[in-house]
Amino acid sequence: MSSSPSDWEVVIGLEVHVQLHTRAKVFASSPWGFGKEPNEQVDSVVLGLPGTLPVVNREAVEKSILFGLVVGSSVPEQCAWDRKNYFYPDNPKNYQLTQKDFPIVVGGQVEIELPGISRNVMGEHKFVRIHHAHLEEDVGKLSHAGSGSLVDYNRAGVPLLEIVTEPDLRSAAEAEAFLRSLVALLTQAGVADCDMEKGQLRCDCNVSIRRRGAEKLGTRTETKNLNSISSVRDTVIYETARQIRELEAGRTITQETRGWNAELSRGYVLRDKEDAHDYRYFPDPDIPTLRISRETVARLQKLVPESLYDRQRRYVEKLGLPFTAASVLVNDRELAEWFELAVAAHPANPQGIANWVTNDLLRDLAASGAAGALLTDAVPPAVSLASCPIKPAQLAGLVKLTDEGVISKQQAKEVFTEMFKTGQEAVAIVDAKGLRQNSDTGELEKIVQAVIADPAVAKSIAEYRAGNEKAINALKGPIMKRTQGKANPVLIDQLLRKFLG
Amino acid sequence: MAEGFDIDHLAKLARLNLTAAEKVLYSSQLTQILGHFQALAKADLPETIDLARVVSESALRSDEPGPVLGAEAVTRIAPASRDGQISVPRVVDDEA
Repeated sequence: MSSSPSDWEVVIGLEVHVQLHTRAKVFASSPWGFGKEPNEQVDSVVLGLPGTLPVVNREAVEKSILFGLVVGSSVPEQCAWDRKNYFYPDNPKNYQLTQKDFPIVVGGQVEIELPGISRNVMGEHKFVRIHHAHLEEDVGKLSHAGSGSLVDYNRAGVPLLEIVTEPDLRSAAEAEAFLRSLVALLTQAGVADCDMEKGQLRCDCNVSIRRRGAEKLGTRTETKNLNSISSVRDTVIYETARQIRELEAGRTITQETRGWNAELSRGYVLRDKEDAHDYRYFPDPDIPTLRISRETVARLQKLVPESLYDRQRRYVEKLGLPFTAASVLVNDRELAEWFELAVAAHPANPQGIANWVTNDLLRDLAASGAAGALLTDAVPPAVSLASCPIKPAQLAGLVKLTDEGVISKQQAKEVFTEMFKTGQEAVAIVDAKGLRQNSDTGELEKIVQAVIADPAVAKSIAEYRAGNEKAINALKGPIMKRTQGKANPVLIDQLLRKFLG
Repeated sequence: MAEGFDIDHLAKLARLNLTAAEKVLYSSQLTQILGHFQALAKADLPETIDLARVVSESALRSDEPGPVLGAEAVTRIAPASRDGQISVPRVVDDEA
């Protein structure tokens, strides 16, 4: 009898390779970037030509330490580089410079958030431990053409931080949530851009299954070189199902390296690179061990931004935002900081400001092409507020005018549209359009008295005086009508209560 | 494998075609070399990084892009090239 899939537990560990945000390569001064002609970003150090020596890029080191601080790892006193030897044409030197025994980041954890039962309900949070992260060089790119292969070394030597998790993930959804959180942490700290379409984040995914409740880990497979979050999710789902099928059919799992065909949504066994695991690591004699000063660590610590879930908690608990708005804002540091500048200019109504930002501002930015990706599921969200025609204080000004009853909510929409078009201050638009609600008490008093005297509302007045609070609303419509919608609703309410009181 | 290595395996890793005579010669030389390291390994030393080779961050390079060779120069030193790329015998890592 076959058991149900819920009898099995999947155990996942990820190795995430992230290209660091630097201008030059990690051990050479050659520049690097996406989309250049083949072999145009290569120098003699990248090729390991005789007489050249690698020297480590300070920025790559500091970005790596910064990542360590972001995930709360202890920064080691020193780190060292090793040679990983293998013969494969993606590496011109026949070895890759990497860190085996003394990596630059040791330990740490990443907080993740699982999807809630609906869009406006926060899902479960948990922590995924980081085993370590090491700073190495990326390898060249191979393309296969007919009977031969072609090699482009532009990518060789690009600083690559390999982040290795503990096997703490238990589902495809958790793996996906981890990667989303990791990308947010990396991009918000400026460590990496994580543009997956440019191959800036690639993932190896280790999957094993075991009977629920069992302690011993099952035999794992490693699916290599996944270049999107959806590929990781799909691989986990596919591998879990495949391994359950194998074990339930009485077969065993072979520890193997696999590939993923995203087009066909299926995995396959990679033809074994013969003895690829016999890397014969040894300390690289060209690069001395690096001592990391505590002064550097202290300086970098100041650059660690508030983590996205700390920020989300603060928005919900301190600013009173609904989860939906908070979760949208914290995904993008630039957007969150924009929002906070607006709140600083009008601290009385953070929720009102959040509504404008997450609904109207993002919608109009998307329509203008500045933030097209933010409304989709793109990671990282590509919002660009640099070109936003509205400044934070200007939006705050608009919300303030609405809160004070100077303009109605309906009028505010009109002002916002105009503001987005022209970048003018809310007050200037209100005055130019003559939208200012009538706050002239003398004139409004006359209108209010005239409406009260109208026999058509006598019944409502009687009800209000009998204690039905809501009946007063029936009088507001006719007053608004007589003022062509310009009357300040707060003032109308006050005057009505004064005259009827 | 009494010497602690397998000459055929090492030759394969290094992509070397050794003759029977070379295997005998290199096996004996490698045994001597390994014997030297085994002697070193017996020394009673604390588990630590080699401190004589530790440098401070002043030995790092700044993140300033420098000159590149250019695809023309890169491909010229390779045995074969095509369209600005280095041409090698087919290596398979795609779906078989």
